[in-house]
Amino acid sequence: MVDLDKLRTVAKETVSRDDVKYLIGWSQGTFGYRVSPHFVKTPQEVDSLTFSPLCSNNLATYLTLTEKLPVPRGEEPDTRKVALMVKGCDSRAVVQQLIEQGITREQVYIIGCPCQGVVDLQKVDEKLGEGVEPAQASWENGQISFQLPDGKTEAFPREDVLADKCITCRYPNPVLSDILLWDEVEVWGSDDYEDVKELDSKSPEEKWAFWQDKFSSCIRCYSCRNVCPMCYCEDCILDRLNPTWMFRSNNVVENTAFQVARAFHLAGRCIECGECERVCPVDIPLMKINRKLYKEVREKYEFEPGLDPESKPLQASYRPDDEEDFIL
Amino acid sequence: MESLKLSKEKLGDFVSKLTDKELLVPQKEGEALKFAPLAGEDMPELDYENTSVPPKNAVFPHTETMLQFELGKMDMQVAAGDEKEKVLLGVRPCDARAMVIIDNLFTWDVDDPYYVDKREKSTVVGLACHEPCSNCFCTSVGGGPASTEGLDVLLTDLGDSYLVQPLSEKGEVLCQAGADVLEKASDADIQGAEKAHEEAANKISRHIDTAGIPENLPSLWEHELWEEVSRSCLGCGICTFLCPPCHCFDMQDEVEGFEGRRCRTWDSCMFSEYTMHASGHNPRHSRRERTRNRINHKYSYYVDKFDVIACVGCGRCINLCPVNIDILDILSKVREAL
Repeated sequence: MVDLDKLRTVAKETVSRDDVKYLIGWSQGTFGYRVSPHFVKTPQEVDSLTFSPLCSNNLATYLTLTEKLPVPRGEEPDTRKVALMVKGCDSRAVVQQLIEQGITREQVYIIGCPCQGVVDLQKVDEKLGEGVEPAQASWENGQISFQLPDGKTEAFPREDVLADKCITCRYPNPVLSDILLWDEVEVWGSDDYEDVKELDSKSPEEKWAFWQDKFSSCIRCYSCRNVCPMCYCEDCILDRLNPTWMFRSNNVVENTAFQVARAFHLAGRCIECGECERVCPVDIPLMKINRKLYKEVREKYEFEPGLDPESKPLQASYRPDDEEDFIL
Repeated sequence: MESLKLSKEKLGDFVSKLTDKELLVPQKEGEALKFAPLAGEDMPELDYENTSVPPKNAVFPHTETMLQFELGKMDMQVAAGDEKEKVLLGVRPCDARAMVIIDNLFTWDVDDPYYVDKREKSTVVGLACHEPCSNCFCTSVGGGPASTEGLDVLLTDLGDSYLVQPLSEKGEVLCQAGADVLEKASDADIQGAEKAHEEAANKISRHIDTAGIPENLPSLWEHELWEEVSRSCLGCGICTFLCPPCHCFDMQDEVEGFEGRRCRTWDSCMFSEYTMHASGHNPRHSRRERTRNRINHKYSYYVDKFDVIACVGCGRCINLCPVNIDILDILSKVREAL
């Protein structure tokens, strides 16, 4: 069970350590059921930390997003750790970054938060509307309970408000952590990739029409790329001008090229945290592409990313018995 | 100008009178609500809070061809001036005000022919807000749920009809075109609309006092608040691309085979390469500097230059930010720091 006192005590101890730069967790947002990533530098700031079904953000992104600025002359680089609060899916992102050597184990102190699934705010909005006053939610006996503006609460069955990725989640417990805040939760999900199979069963023309419709609304804000804990190339092909791999023009051809490139670069790397789909301001169902590639990799290579920090990246591994009958 | 009334049942008839113009109304494209041409016999659907993509796309498209050329040939074709007359139906007053705000920029030293052409050929029919969204704060930045700035006609929902108030010459022309289906509004209709406008303004629950901010914001240049409010920023383009008064663009030559075009596309000051110099130096090297610039540009530099805040309080940046960076929260921190 979630124990916020424990969370804050551990956070206080952690940020007091000499070898920790800051801690990244979640705190109540500025309105409604929103939550913000919260950066804690001093023990006084831990009281606003929280953990609830509203904590969707995958904070592992910040491990690679934070700019590496030049060290001023006469100063030593700050090599202290970043302490990071992780759910199950978030921990897989950290593991995958370790596998790829995007970060090193010494750079991060992992505080594991076994998770019972986070909500999809769009589903919540449909039921309760978007409030102005900041409000909270909690897990309660298989339900998720929401605080209402009048002080009362309203509970819904988990499956009615959980994010889709959480309904099929197989890794609610952190796969790697330095400290676990409370007991692991029982795994509830199984994933038969029903949504992928459904789209797969359509004709190429139907699939093309489906994606053309979706990609035509892309505004190229790159929030899907920036929020992704696996998208951390210092030099992204989307930003390159010489050579220009992808035009900046917003049209369905370029948008498709962008989204296909994004998805391919995540094959065998995406850990299904669903952040890209959550943040998309025009609601493109990006997880349908990511999950298609996840399914292929899982079935063809018996490989799942972000589980074992000692393993090799998919593209850097080879086994003589790897399936190859799809190669022409 | 005389106020008129349009029965909701006759909205389709009214629209069908505007055949000489392209009609843009809020529509779902994929999952996103945005202004798009109305197809065939479809009825405009005006029951929505606001579009996720603002109508600025109609006058300042995400991608715009400026000129076309062929490799190896000397002549170029400039692509301005061939715009069709358009009617934007159902624009929220905040989004219409935004067009007036960016008119300043696009007509500042020289008129931008691409923008001005589209703007002149657009008739903007607004729809007053009845139910402002949670994060609307238009009344704090000079607007309101029934603000008429930038509108040619204002519609107000009266239940089973709309009060139709023409506000400009273009608006008059539009109302004349639809005269058959419009009737004269009664005093009770006008009073009903005024009451609705007032009620909507009272429903706006978020506010900020901007007094003193434009003059003093740059004095907080090195203040620690900028690091605090930008730490969680992802550096994506949501807050700027979906901001109605944001108007930055990039220009690129795009060549396929022998055919080439120079086009401009939306750009965002939140992107790292926005200020990247050819030398490789980046004066805004982190999200702290970029966030500071975004707020300063809207609430100080633009005011200094054009005497108007480049924010209309539509709340899109707050609603859609993936990490809950809230411009009102930033501005209240600014107030505390001043």
